[in-house]
Amino acid sequence: MSIRVGFYVCHCGINIAGKVRVEEVADFARKLKNVVIARDYKFMCSDPGQEMIEKDIREFNLNRVVVASCSPRLHEKTFQSACRRAALNPYFFQMASVREQVSWVTEDEDEATQKAKTLAAAAINRVNYHERLDDREAVVHPDIMVVGGGISGMQAALDIGNAGHKVYLVEKSTTIGGHMLQFDKTFPTLDCAACIGTPKMVDVVQNPNIELISYSEVTEVSGFIGNYTVKIRRKPRYVKEGVCTGCGECANVCPVSVPSEWDEGLGHRAAIYRAFPQAVPITFCIDKKDRAPCAIACPAGINVQGYVQLISQGKYREATRLIMERLPLPGVLGRVCPHPCESQCRRLEVDEAIAIRDLKRFAADHTNLTELEPPEIQECSEKVAVVGSGPSGLTVAYYLRLKGYQVTIYEALDVLGGMLRVGIPDFRLPSQVLDHEIDYILRLGVKTRTGVRFGSDLTLNDLKQEGFSAVFLGIGAHDSLDMHIPGEKDTQGVMDAVRFLRQVNLGDKTCPGRQVVVVGGGNVAIDTARAAKRLGAREVTVVYRRSEREMPAYAEEIEGAKNEEIRFFFLTAPVKILEKQGKVDGFECIRTKLGPPDASGRRRPLPVAGSEFVIPCDAVIPAIGQKTHAPWADREPDLIWSPRNTLKVNLRTMQTSIPYVFAGGDAVMGPATVIEAVAAGHKAVEAIHRYINGEDLDLYAKQVEVREQPGRDWQEIPDGLYRKSRAHPQHLDPKLSATSFDEVDLGLSESEAQREARRCLNCGLCCECMECVRVCEANAIDHRMKEKELEVKVGSIIIATGYDTIDPTPMKQFGYGKYPNVFTALEFERLSNATGPTGGEILIRDQNGELTRIPKRVAILHCIGSRDVNYHEYCSRVCCMYALKYAHLIHEKVGHDAQIFNFYIDMRCFGKGYEEFYERCQREGTHFIRGKVAEITDQAIKPEEHGKLITIAEDTLLGRSIRIPVDMVILCNAIQARSDAQEVGRIFGVNQGADGFFLEEHPKLGPLDTATDGVFLAGVCQGPKDIPDSVCQASGAAVKALALATRGKVEIAPIISWIDPDVCAGCQTCIDLCPYSAIEYNVRKGISVVNEALCKGCGSCAGFCPSGAAQVKHFNEKQIFAELEGIIDSLNSVGI
Amino acid sequence: MRLQYPSDIKVIIIPCTGKIDILHILHAFEKGADGVYVVGCMEGDCHYTNGNLRARSRIKHIQKILDTIGIGGERAQMYNLSSNDGPRFAEIAVEMDEKIRKLGPNPIKLAQNTAA
Repeated sequence: MSIRVGFYVCHCGINIAGKVRVEEVADFARKLKNVVIARDYKFMCSDPGQEMIEKDIREFNLNRVVVASCSPRLHEKTFQSACRRAALNPYFFQMASVREQVSWVTEDEDEATQKAKTLAAAAINRVNYHERLDDREAVVHPDIMVVGGGISGMQAALDIGNAGHKVYLVEKSTTIGGHMLQFDKTFPTLDCAACIGTPKMVDVVQNPNIELISYSEVTEVSGFIGNYTVKIRRKPRYVKEGVCTGCGECANVCPVSVPSEWDEGLGHRAAIYRAFPQAVPITFCIDKKDRAPCAIACPAGINVQGYVQLISQGKYREATRLIMERLPLPGVLGRVCPHPCESQCRRLEVDEAIAIRDLKRFAADHTNLTELEPPEIQECSEKVAVVGSGPSGLTVAYYLRLKGYQVTIYEALDVLGGMLRVGIPDFRLPSQVLDHEIDYILRLGVKTRTGVRFGSDLTLNDLKQEGFSAVFLGIGAHDSLDMHIPGEKDTQGVMDAVRFLRQVNLGDKTCPGRQVVVVGGGNVAIDTARAAKRLGAREVTVVYRRSEREMPAYAEEIEGAKNEEIRFFFLTAPVKILEKQGKVDGFECIRTKLGPPDASGRRRPLPVAGSEFVIPCDAVIPAIGQKTHAPWADREPDLIWSPRNTLKVNLRTMQTSIPYVFAGGDAVMGPATVIEAVAAGHKAVEAIHRYINGEDLDLYAKQVEVREQPGRDWQEIPDGLYRKSRAHPQHLDPKLSATSFDEVDLGLSESEAQREARRCLNCGLCCECMECVRVCEANAIDHRMKEKELEVKVGSIIIATGYDTIDPTPMKQFGYGKYPNVFTALEFERLSNATGPTGGEILIRDQNGELTRIPKRVAILHCIGSRDVNYHEYCSRVCCMYALKYAHLIHEKVGHDAQIFNFYIDMRCFGKGYEEFYERCQREGTHFIRGKVAEITDQAIKPEEHGKLITIAEDTLLGRSIRIPVDMVILCNAIQARSDAQEVGRIFGVNQGADGFFLEEHPKLGPLDTATDGVFLAGVCQGPKDIPDSVCQASGAAVKALALATRGKVEIAPIISWIDPDVCAGCQTCIDLCPYSAIEYNVRKGISVVNEALCKGCGSCAGFCPSGAAQVKHFNEKQIFAELEGIIDSLNSVGI
Repeated sequence: MRLQYPSDIKVIIIPCTGKIDILHILHAFEKGADGVYVVGCMEGDCHYTNGNLRARSRIKHIQKILDTIGIGGERAQMYNLSSNDGPRFAEIAVEMDEKIRKLGPNPIKLAQNTAA
């Protein structure tokens, strides 16, 4: 059949005809090949225009139609429909854009006419090669998704639900309601936002067709119009929806307080919270960040943030109980712990670390352990022997006992406590503290046998005979290292520090000498020196071979020793002990200097030749290190020792070479800290429990090894935090302290401790103190809740994700963040709202930052970040009206004598009832000043300006500059696209406009549609608008979605790829190129085949196919070449 | 917006720049086009995942071919543009028009004219 083309060129009034000589174009086209008829007409898109096409198709038997008019985006479908009505397949139609691409963008009439001719020729040439194509039909899934639960999202969901279709409403935050529910009143009617908003929220939750998925975000959308699959990430609330009754007891006991997002930071909320009392769903939510760095740093894994917070609430017993979940010796560690937690404390970034150890001690000192209810124990029959009653032994005994095991502690000495008892003197760790804590452990039913020395009185075999399932060796390191210098062994007056301290702690208070030299730089050396002083030594000297910086002893101990007039000889190494008649008569030393670092990372001391000198003394106490004393080692040959003379264990399970024997503490680590011994104890407890229950410990060790690194997503440190110095406990007067064994550190007072605890930044937000769990009668709280992923299928999606407001802080001239009484619009809404931080009273900040003062003069600044080329060029569209509302509310609440100044550029009061409201506010006496404020300052130049904020502006109507002193400034800060709009747009396949808002398909004719079919827009995510407009758009979007859903099917353009099976060489290159995995290889035929259901028609395959087999229908090679040739061939004939 | 741009620019619509075949562009030069440029979505924003990146590498390849055969690689260019940035579209049109005018007519066209 011969090709018969009909060509039509549109005048579009004068839009095209004003530049393009349309008759000439029609004449030109008439002469082109296969053109049967060419006409020009005023409005081709009008009814007569379309009828003309239909009539010509029938009359002239046309089988191709070309219209040269506007953009195909606008009217391609219109003309395709006209063809269809005249029984011509719509794909035999082609459009040339001679308005958007010619008349509107070309200055010269001749050039425009020539270009129009070439484009017409191209379209006519192309249409020759068009092929019949049939739309595909797809079934539309009847369910619909609405993303965003603000007023737009709620309205859309309700409309859809009421129409009888299922709708999923996904909301990112814990409650629906959106920004509107933060507002106080709504303009111009002054309806209360809550009064009109909360019933909608309730409707949503009660509508049986609406499934509300709150505190969740869409992560992935796949599929196409009518058939979308949406993945949703449900963040854990840690409170069970449906079980929580919303009583609020949990928030009352939660110790954490952080600024409330709902109140724009003007008020505070707990870590367990609900945005506002009318929130929907009513379920509370716990805000958790990653585990606080202090808790991560604690070797024993104590929930540091938790007990610090409990102390801030005065809940000392609860704090102690929380500590004891991981540490049976809170009072002991509260005194002697090296507190690795404090060096990780993020308060250091502001001022000083929280005094965590002192707080721990405070909690322990303020808890009477005899009154503490012991936890319930589920008994089991297995027996475990713990050898040694030091910190690791006590830890193992306590936690195994809590697991129900029958535990017996064997101790060589007559007293329990190990090094805690005999290694640390009373002035640092009073024995009663240790007694109380050990008593508590024993109260649980731990048995003890003292005076039984392992190795001599007791062997592993004995323990096995007695029926112990496992043995823990926590035998410590109670033997001193030698100095290896002459005179050390047999001179009277030389006694090692371990023995000395043991004697002192067991009650032997003999003075070691008049002049005592202590050798070493650790805590043991300092303890020894200070004990010697207390026993009456006149002169005590500490000799240390490195400098003070390298000293391992705690700084506060060194300081205390210095205060007690103990002398320090740094950079001094021992040479020999001088003797006279077998007694010590001086200590010869040599000066050292620091060389390069050694294996420990500390600089190695090198002796300075010829610098020997003698310290006169009659006693020398070396305190240079300890080792484990195990003369029985030969009798237990199966127990393997390391070359360092420590017990060899698997460091993850603390299991020794004998499977049922575990070990920890100094006997494994060498001399180390108490908290490390506790940590080793915990590892042993877990492993022994598993060992007894027959688990594979090697496998368990591997699991421990791969445990993931803790995250670092912590609560942000607020800007402008006041610096507060760290609490320091009182110490005994050095004159007193040097003569008695009373405790030197007096601890924090109650007020100091609470103040100190309140300095905590709550890095982990929820501190997991479990107070909420304790008070929740509904048992709704589950701190172990995990994130969930949900997948739903829907036919269409409505995006109603709303807006953010611009942060005015960078606009320095307005002083936001600098002057406390400059507020943003949303802050004012919260101040004025009855559920807000002031209960609806409009108050400003006093000098302490508290909201107490009543403002009498208020400036309202319009267009902050809107209509400003530096920020957003667009108008935020609601500010003029809410500024009027604010003026009215201030007059109403503060009094009609309040002076209110509205600084505006233009008043835009365009909606129904808006102008009338403007009039009303004018009558109420609000001052309107046309001019943008240049600066807000507190620099007074006139007496009436003192103590005020001065707004400096130009009154452009009067043409002069003005200064107006006010109490309060409200910034009408711009509405802007959500900060995550780009990411959200990517997920849904929706573009952003230059202003950042989501781009509609057409600004006038498709404001609800997007470039992705089946995805619609509603509300401010598409551009700034007020509540009525948002609601209208929501209902409109709902209708769009419902239209798809009720029809149940949809036509999809057939513009997809096709691989010619006769041409395809089977190279499979296209399979890798296809972004949708829509091409499969047919092995039998040796060719690639397009899966039409998956293909989106991008043409990636066609762009590279070496044989030209892959083509996009309607955009195939012949058609594109024809269009190209049409342009170039016509250039000559039009005379270019 | 109705921003003016030179009338020598003629637009051919394709579904995605990833569909551009090297042949399409070479054919345009063969037919006598003085310059060809491809305008795709912003990088990272391709509606079809990564078509615009493919187009970019193909344009690079074409530039080499054009250099080799003496037409000049500069006559083919790739631009990225967001669908809402009309001013930039007009700017690119002017830029390209000026560039090609400086380079003068396509040598193939000259050769054909001489031969004829």
